[in-house]
Amino acid sequence: MHGFSMLRIVQVGFKSLRLHKLRSGLTMLGMIIGVWAVITLVAIGEGASHDAQEAIKALGANNVIIRSVKPMSDKTQLQGREMQWETIYGLKNADAVRIAKTVPGVIKVLPILTQRKNIRHGIRDEDCQLIGTYPYYPEFTQAKMVAGQFLNEIEEAQKKNSCVITRTLAEKLFAGHNPLMEDVVIGGFESHQVFRVKGIIEERSDQDKMPKDKEVMGRTIRSNVFIPLSTFKALYGIKNIDRSVGSLIVERVDLSEIRVEFGSVEEVMPALPLLREALDKTRRGKVDYEFQVPINELNALRAQKARDTRMLLYIACISLLVGGIGIMNIMLATVTERTQEIGVRRALGATRVDITVQFLVESLMLCLIGGAIGVAGGWGFAEIRHHFLNQTTIVTEWSVLVAFCLSVGVGLAFGIYPARRAALLDPIEALRHA
Amino acid sequence: MATRNIIEIKNLTKVYDLGAVQVPALRGLNFNVEEGSYTAIMGPSGSGKSTLLNILGCLDRPTAGEYHLGDDNVASMSDRELSGVRGARIGFIFQSYNLIQQLNVIENIHVPLFYQGRDISDFRDHCVKLADKVGLGDRLDHRPMQLSGGQQQRVAVARALANEPLMLLADEPTGNLDTTTEQEILDILDELHAEGRTLVVVTHDDAVAARAERVINLKDGLIDRDIRNGKDQPKAKEKPQPAIITSIQLSEEDLQTVPANEKEDDEKIRVKVKLTRKTNNNPGAAQED
Repeated sequence: MHGFSMLRIVQVGFKSLRLHKLRSGLTMLGMIIGVWAVITLVAIGEGASHDAQEAIKALGANNVIIRSVKPMSDKTQLQGREMQWETIYGLKNADAVRIAKTVPGVIKVLPILTQRKNIRHGIRDEDCQLIGTYPYYPEFTQAKMVAGQFLNEIEEAQKKNSCVITRTLAEKLFAGHNPLMEDVVIGGFESHQVFRVKGIIEERSDQDKMPKDKEVMGRTIRSNVFIPLSTFKALYGIKNIDRSVGSLIVERVDLSEIRVEFGSVEEVMPALPLLREALDKTRRGKVDYEFQVPINELNALRAQKARDTRMLLYIACISLLVGGIGIMNIMLATVTERTQEIGVRRALGATRVDITVQFLVESLMLCLIGGAIGVAGGWGFAEIRHHFLNQTTIVTEWSVLVAFCLSVGVGLAFGIYPARRAALLDPIEALRHA
Repeated sequence: MATRNIIEIKNLTKVYDLGAVQVPALRGLNFNVEEGSYTAIMGPSGSGKSTLLNILGCLDRPTAGEYHLGDDNVASMSDRELSGVRGARIGFIFQSYNLIQQLNVIENIHVPLFYQGRDISDFRDHCVKLADKVGLGDRLDHRPMQLSGGQQQRVAVARALANEPLMLLADEPTGNLDTTTEQEILDILDELHAEGRTLVVVTHDDAVAARAERVINLKDGLIDRDIRNGKDQPKAKEKPQPAIITSIQLSEEDLQTVPANEKEDDEKIRVKVKLTRKTNNNPGAAQED
């Protein structure tokens, strides 16, 4: 086959397809929808998985998060001094110190104490999460400062009434004007304290691509107020008092969370038993903590994504198969309709190979044009979703490649039978065909 | 005058195998066609005219005998080789024009060139010249649907000339045309003959045959008359095949059913014997094609 004649076959094929625009269009539709679906679905899946991975990465892949949990066994345990119902459980400062000292590979330990409070500025008030922590919180969680400074060592040492608030909270509470150096009142059940805002922080998982109003890793991420841990303990104590329907629950939790940073991702998994050992030393079998290991979650998520992708591919294959059958059906009808043309071409010197190639090229063109429209459509749709609907949608090269290769494969596989049938027609019979 | 033979046919036989019955359509033809001659092949339907046309056009292969086209013995060629011969040596003109609908005039003329591996960009001038020759130089971009029957047949003639074939083979070229356009097409064929091209026209129309310098009349798969310039040629000695070959041995009784006065007429014997077979054995097994 000469180069130019291939070009000519494509030109003639194009003319034949154009002769029946509606029919060619409808035939291509199967291909278009199939390819479109593959690319869009893969892009949406990829986007969702990207978001989730980002959220997990925000927790730090080489981190382990240890959280205090109320033990199941002694939920209603009474601590008998002066008729107070108190539950004492959770992580202690000593735990944090022991981890930092005994577990190999640990670079830093970040203690966090959290209580639900109310924050007020002027006439506005919001529910918030009051977080007492150390000055290196931003580096540890890869949060970035939007304005002002984070808490520093001096404030920690001197138990200053300084606070840093998240951007979303700043927007709600200050509605437009600058919150820096303004005073806020943070109050809970027992005490109300005045704090000065000295910075605005944006946590990594708090970006606008994040699904709003959703708890990520068991913690609302929107309205956080950071104060020095020492200030927290001095002003609010470690008693968390929660008054719900008809009962008063008092909990004594020294630290709600200890974040442990390791030097590298590889050190995380082997260190887990050692962490557990360090914590269990003083606990006498009571389990009042849990681990959250982001790297584990990340791995689980990746496995889940691989399964989803495989399923998408099955669906894509089925839809392309259906499209292919449509193409074969139309090509068979075309061969019957153009029997006389085939006879004429044979009489004018076309060999069986020539006829096969001609019809194969036509079905291939249907697939390729359909595939190209599908790619363009799917890609375009994904971009629109990403940029105008603000939902992370990522078109992957491999999905485009797979969709394209599949459409070529379908064109060849389902084009070969009609093409052979055309080529094997007896030229005399074909010429006589009206 | 010693002219080269374009076609040499020796003892050409074609038998259609219908299972139990084998029906011979050509029973051993012998004739030659000289270069530059204009031959008409005539005969009633069932005389083997179409079969001969298909074999001459290399669309079909004979059961036995030789067919030399130019220097090649076409009778023993493969399908692929026959395709090549059709494209390069023969220019077909069909009764129903058979232009390709999605192509315009110039592209239709180019089709035979394409299958010889010749690009349209190199042969465009050649195709335009051919279109001019048949008087369609101003309609190069027209589609067949936009042309009259006569114009379409002109395009078909131009297309037949595209590869400079050894011979033009026309099958009832004016069968679908009215008398006026029929004359126009026949005039073009006359012109081509005058240029020295070899023409073979299969027709049952006396007006068409009248233009040819030689008329071969077929009857029952044999040459009945061979008339050159109005004069009968002496018939070549032909040893005809039997009119019917069956896989069943015909009994004397079967032949006895044929009335004595019709025994000479092969055609009628054929019909008679068939009827006998039909009623006796297997109805439907020996249907006429």
